[in-house]
Formats: sequence, C-alpha cells, structure tokens
Amino acid sequence: MLRTLLRMRKPFTQSRVDISATRRLILGAAAGLAVFLPIAAFAAHGASPLKVVETTIVDAPPGKVWAVVSDFAHADWLPGVARVEASGDDVPDHARRRLILADGGVIEELLTKRDAERMLLGVHREGDDVKRLPATNYTALITLRPAEDGKTQVEWKARFYRGYPNNDPPPELNDDVAIAAVTAMQRAYLAALKAKVEGR
Amino acid sequence: MRLQSVMPALVAGIHAKTMRRVEGKASKRFALAWMAGTSPAMTAGVFLSIVILAAPALADEAFVTAQGADALSIVDLAKMQTVATLPIGGKPAGVAVSRDGARAFITSPEGKFLTVIDAATRTIEKRIPVEGGPLGVAASPDGKRVYVADLYGRRLVEIVLAGGAQRSVGVGAMASGVAVAPDGKTIIVADRDDNALSLIDAATFSRAATIPVGKHPFGVTIDASSARAYSANVESDDVSVVDLATRKVIATLKCGSRPYTVALAKGRVFVANQHGDSVSVFDAESLAPLETIKVGEYPEGLAVSGDGARVYVANWFSNELWAVDAQTLKVLGKAETGDGPRAFGAFIRDAD
Repeated sequence: MLRTLLRMRKPFTQSRVDISATRRLILGAAAGLAVFLPIAAFAAHGASPLKVVETTIVDAPPGKVWAVVSDFAHADWLPGVARVEASGDDVPDHARRRLILADGGVIEELLTKRDAERMLLGVHREGDDVKRLPATNYTALITLRPAEDGKTQVEWKARFYRGYPNNDPPPELNDDVAIAAVTAMQRAYLAALKAKVEGR
Repeated sequence: MRLQSVMPALVAGIHAKTMRRVEGKASKRFALAWMAGTSPAMTAGVFLSIVILAAPALADEAFVTAQGADALSIVDLAKMQTVATLPIGGKPAGVAVSRDGARAFITSPEGKFLTVIDAATRTIEKRIPVEGGPLGVAASPDGKRVYVADLYGRRLVEIVLAGGAQRSVGVGAMASGVAVAPDGKTIIVADRDDNALSLIDAATFSRAATIPVGKHPFGVTIDASSARAYSANVESDDVSVVDLATRKVIATLKCGSRPYTVALAKGRVFVANQHGDSVSVFDAESLAPLETIKVGEYPEGLAVSGDGARVYVANWFSNELWAVDAQTLKVLGKAETGDGPRAFGAFIRDAD
C-alpha cells in the first residue's frame, strides 16, 4: 500500500498544473509518509548535467547571512513561497521541506548538505515539474564566503539536466532553455536573500 | 604470476597492466641474473624491494573529460597541472585510455560520436559516429576494440578500430558504465534503469547473463584477476560486489550519499560519493569499511595510477582533479580542470 502510494507520487508531481481534490489527498498522504520513509525521487535523465553559478554580495557579515540560508525549514523568503512545511530537523539526507507556493503549487526539497563551518548548504529538488521549471534533477549548492568591508559573497551553484530526458530535445526543453530558466530563478533567489538579510 | 605467489598482499588489486610490466622487467632481471650466475629466486627478492621503493611513476597523465567546457583537459600528474586542453565537442563524458597508453577514447553523448586521440601527440586521430547516446566506454586489453554503451538504445556497441566495423548487442535500459575484464573474456555493462548488470561474453559478443544489483548502477569496474565486478549504485547508496564465475552478488557495501564510480588499488575498493563530497574506502578482501576521505565538490570519475599507488578523483562542481595516496589515504594534491569534469572511465595514462 505504501509502495503503491509512493509510486503514484511521481506522475502527480509532474502534472501539477491542475491538482484535483483526490490528487491533493494522495499527495498529502504520500508527503506524510515521506517523513518516515526514505524515498529516492530522482527522475530519468540524460548524459549531460548542466551547471549555473550565480553570485551576489550581501551587505551583512557571513554569520548573519548563514543564519537565514541555513534555516532550511523556514525558507519562506524564497520568491513565490507562501509557507513552508518541513521535517527532519535540518539533518542532511533526512530533512525535507515542502515549499507551498502562492499560486497553489508545491515544490519538495531534500537537504543534502549543511556544513556550518564551511557555510555550505546543499538542496536537492525532489520530483520535477518542467512546466514550472524546464529542468530536471535540480541540485543546489549555496556557499558563503567573507567579502570586503565585512560583507558576504553568496554563491548559488546548481547541477541539473534539461527538461527533456533524451537526446534531440524539442526547442522548449533544450539546454539553453534550462540554463536560462535556472539562471533567472537563482538570480531571483539571491535578490530575495539580499533583501531579507539587509532588511529591505 | 610468479610474483603474485611470492607476495600476494603486495600485488593484490594492482592493475593487470602493472603486473604485465613488472613481469616483463622481472624476466629481464632473471636473464641478467642467470648470466651473472646468481640465483633467480634471490634476485627476485632484491628486485621486489626495488619495485616497492621506486613505486611512483611520475609521468602519468589524466585525460579528464570536461563536459561543460566541451573539451578534454590533460593533466600532468607529476605537476598536478592541466598542461593541454583539446576541444572535443558534443559534450564529452566517457573516457578510456588504452592499456599501452597510446590512445584515449572519448564519448560525446550529445554529438553522437567517439573521438580517438593519439595520446602522445595529444591530437585527434579520428571521430567515429555512434548512434544514440554514447556514454560509458572501455577498450579491449589489446587496444584493438572499443566498447561503447548507448545510453538510449539499450545496446553495447563494439567498434573494431582497424576498419571501423561496428556491431551491437542488446543490453538493459540506460546503459551507462562499461568495464572489460583484464583477461579480455568478459564485458560488464551497468543497465542503470534496470537495476542490473549485463554480462557480455566478449568472444561471441552475446549477452550471457543479467545480474540484479542495487538501485541505478552507474560506474562499474573489474579486478585485476578478472574474478569480481563492482557497481556503484547511485540510488541505493551502495556498491554491489559480483562474483563473475557464479554471476551473483556476493556482498553489498554501504557507501556515502549517491555513489557514482568505483576503482581498485592497493587491495582496496574506492567509491566516489557525489552528494557526500567524499570517497569511501573498503578492504577488498574483508570488505570492511576503512575510511571516508573528504574530497572536492560532487566527485564523479575515479581512476588509479599505473602503479596502483594513487587514486584520482574528478570533482564536477569544483572543477578539480584530486590525487589521493592509495596506501595512506591522504590527499596529495589538486589540479584545476576545465568546467564540469566527468572523467567517466579509466582516464589515467601511464606514460611509461
């Protein structure tokens, strides 16, 4: 029964545009189970991972920025996020969060890394919705480094695959489209982080 | 094989090529000793200690596929520096250096071709079209045939270099890593999405068995004695140890998060963990976990120096190649590579 629910999960998360009440119920049940069961939600993908690196300078010391970035369970400062449901106490490979979006969508993420000493946070997006983000298997690595005048350089680096899992992708799901979308998303994330920490 | 019986612990896990070379040098020694009237056995003892002391060959090179840069980074492993960059195209990922070090074979899954490189002159010799998504690659021990996994086509392609004839054998879904046994008799393919390995009989080029392993096997390797195969299973966070004679999994090793590739050196099993930013080390005999080494960000390709003394790790996120001492397990050095190093395969060229 549990297995069936979990297996059913992926198709629903992939076509999340119009979630019916039944689907919502199943999604909710599956998400509840996800707290107790380790699930591997890595979608099929091709042979060429893509990389996007975006950086910004935040006018605050690294410790203050890390306090916001590392608070995996309360990332409601992310653009478009209405609220966050989290489990796993920020323990890497266990902690999960559901970003409940203002438009009703849901993004599920797994914490893969949390290193306070190196100020490094890793997040893997579970399940893909190429209508929302034309990329799959999105993994982010966020690194903080001290910058001049007590400021902080934040690097938001991602590994992902294009939206189309095989060779010869259609134009709307090719590498360039994936890179452009992830670049725009990460720039928006960094701008929101900057605004949050700098209190604007 | 004489040496193996003298010091089994020393030679266990050393690359077959090294064995061949050692034997070659050893027979020269024996000949000289015989002419000088000394006992060959005594000379063998002396010779062995020389081999141990003079172990690190310093002229090795790494042929690192930098997929993001669409190029091949050639790293001088004595200097730990990228000394040449060859534009390849087609998003190069897989690599295999021939045993004699003469050639490197590079797969370009997006470009649908295999590039043959003259390793000494660092020039492109030819480009061979391969349909589908050529990814994992390995060369036959004599360097005359190249085996390429087609990620999308459920097949392993054999290319005869002289003449370029191609034929293929059916394998499982999303064929990824390829390894050829040093005795040349067996080829192993990781059928990623089937959670299994295909065992190919090289002589008949037919699929002799499928062996269920952990979830999503990606990198595979075979030991020097052609007895065991190992697969890194990305989604079950473990390594399957397969006995090739019985074609069965005989052990499962728990690794770090998202193990991607396996390499063998100094009687040890090394595993690169992508999410763990680490290399797990096990004893190849007892299969006991020995250590977890922190490496760069998102380690992928893993390969061993010709003399078995060092293990090299390509770190995809941080664009680095790290060298690790296979005995002390200490990090020896780092080299910057082109963007997105995959180095998926046997990417070390022993320049001896």
